[in-house]
Amino acid sequence: MGARTAMLSIEDLQARVDGKPILNGLTLEVGAGEVHAIMGPNGSGKSTLAYVLAGRPGYEVTGGRVLFEGRDLITLAPEERARAGLFLGFQYPVEIPGVNNVYLLKAAVNAARKARGQPEVDAFEFLGLVREKMALMRMEDSFLSRGVNEGFSGGEKKRNEILQMLVLEPRLAILDETDSGLDIDALKVVAAGVNSQRSPERACVLVTHYQRLLEYVTPDFVHVLVRGRIAKSGDRSLALELERRGYDWVAGEAA
Amino acid sequence: MSSLTPALAQRLTAEHASAARALTGPALGAAQSALEALLAAGLPSTRDENWKYANLRTLEKLRYLPAATAGGHAAPVTAALLPPTVPQFARYVFIDGVLAPGLSAPLGGAAATLALHDGTAGTVTAGSADERFALLNAAFAPQGFTVGVAAAATARLELLFIAAADAEHGASYPRVQVEVGPGAQLALIERHLSGAELPSFVNGAVTVAVGSGGSCAHYRLQHLNGRSTYFDTLTARLAARATYRLHGTATGGQSARSTVTVRLEGERAELTLAVAALGDRQQVQDAYAVVEHSAPNARTEQIFRGIAAGRARVAFNGKIVVAPGASGTDSRQSLRGLLAGPGAEIDVRPQLEIYTDDVRCSHGATAGKLDDDMLFYLLSRGLTRETAQRLLKWAFLGDVVAKIELPGLRRQIEERLVGQLQDDTLRELL
Repeated sequence: MGARTAMLSIEDLQARVDGKPILNGLTLEVGAGEVHAIMGPNGSGKSTLAYVLAGRPGYEVTGGRVLFEGRDLITLAPEERARAGLFLGFQYPVEIPGVNNVYLLKAAVNAARKARGQPEVDAFEFLGLVREKMALMRMEDSFLSRGVNEGFSGGEKKRNEILQMLVLEPRLAILDETDSGLDIDALKVVAAGVNSQRSPERACVLVTHYQRLLEYVTPDFVHVLVRGRIAKSGDRSLALELERRGYDWVAGEAA
Repeated sequence: MSSLTPALAQRLTAEHASAARALTGPALGAAQSALEALLAAGLPSTRDENWKYANLRTLEKLRYLPAATAGGHAAPVTAALLPPTVPQFARYVFIDGVLAPGLSAPLGGAAATLALHDGTAGTVTAGSADERFALLNAAFAPQGFTVGVAAAATARLELLFIAAADAEHGASYPRVQVEVGPGAQLALIERHLSGAELPSFVNGAVTVAVGSGGSCAHYRLQHLNGRSTYFDTLTARLAARATYRLHGTATGGQSARSTVTVRLEGERAELTLAVAALGDRQQVQDAYAVVEHSAPNARTEQIFRGIAAGRARVAFNGKIVVAPGASGTDSRQSLRGLLAGPGAEIDVRPQLEIYTDDVRCSHGATAGKLDDDMLFYLLSRGLTRETAQRLLKWAFLGDVVAKIELPGLRRQIEERLVGQLQDDTLRELL
């Protein structure tokens, strides 16, 4: 992939869940400023890849290597990965009643700032920033005082994931099926959020089953995951071809 | 069938004789009959079904003579030691169970009728075998306090009980009778604190009667020091359409046991019972709450949240009995315990006894560790493991704490819970 330096470099990654191999030698490079889409049939390992990168317990790496900005990602605890600038947008964000949304945002931002040796964020300015991002995500003010995802609809939960991403400004965002379960209006809002974050310093990995999101967030690269490996890579047109021909076509080629 | 050992029965008798020297007339007679009832009934033991999680080992060693009767070795209590008052609540301070007028609002100045008596007013016989500690209180309490709110009147009171005496010296017997008249409203704070770091022995007895259409919000804070022994017996009766909200928090005591009985005797009476308990080190926090529905269409909501850290034991036994004829009963129980220490123990036990048809009774009980998915979510946002765990513990108590509608008091309770969780970083949440 030329002379660009990879922000994320995954080499021959193997991982298993409950003793069952899911990732079987996955290799992928993501450079700064790029948006990659990872597509694939159900059970191909898309979400497992997202969780392995974020460090979820129970997702065991059995081989290969992952470098994130030159650091060995796998040896870092989940919270260290987050503070290093990695963000996972969950497919199914958990509800945490009693933990206030604003408090979580502030604690998360301050954890990252502390890791960089910066002072804590000013509470007043911070609230202004959060409101600005909330407006972009079309979220109501009452959200601030609610518990994390508490009683949120599926669409609200996904918008909240993107809001957290906008506030945390990660170097690398991995969005796991952020588009699933969204109606077209919510999808556009989410896409606008993702697009607002695109910059030469940041990268994004979109894990998705359908190409619908990619109509609004144009990826630089599209990869098809089959049985825990990248079976095919291409540009935006690959996603359209998948839409026409289905995953069996790639799975057949890969076999 | 007394469960008292001969030695304990003998000591109770001797100490009672010494305490009774201060009494005359009807008071003496009442105290005598309470002692006789106590000696006949005995005190509970851990072989009793509803007492197996309590720490009763200390009973043999305690001194039962009232500290107030034994005379002044207690640490001095000054106004500066007391927590801030809650706005609009008249405060009455009791030291070792005896009113301290110098630290209290005037008795005549409150919206309620307040009276001190010689400790003998009210029932002497225990209503059930689980209320036997109330007999101990009736036999020894040198003083009682009655609160009466007249029909349709409104009152706000705080009863602050300071345990000051060393348990070696004498015991403290808070004794309160509350009567809320028809259509009346009472907000009552009942708070138990230690006056010093000495171990105290407190055995309280409180009765509450809410008249038809009346309401009582009862905030009950057991925040003694971690060396004390605490028993209390609370018995409440609700008439038709009466509302009783009992908000309990228990953080104190080396061993603490609360026995609550609420009888919904009138149609459409409503009870909310929300309790939070925190145990750390080797504390024992035990509570038993029985709710008896004997009239139709009454409602109960019972919520318990307990956290056991260190090697503590936190237990809650919540029982709901629906008597024949109590049709249309609606009861909900949610009892949850959180294990937060390698040697900690949680016992939550929901019990339902239903003797009629046409009722809606739901119950849920869980005991476990912090939710792994929630923890990972917070870690994935960069929070340290320690902060994430503390945040989740705090959130766990939220169901109970959020129900406290007095902002000033809620804040004091939150401060106390934060202190018990030993977590200054949580303060910024307040």
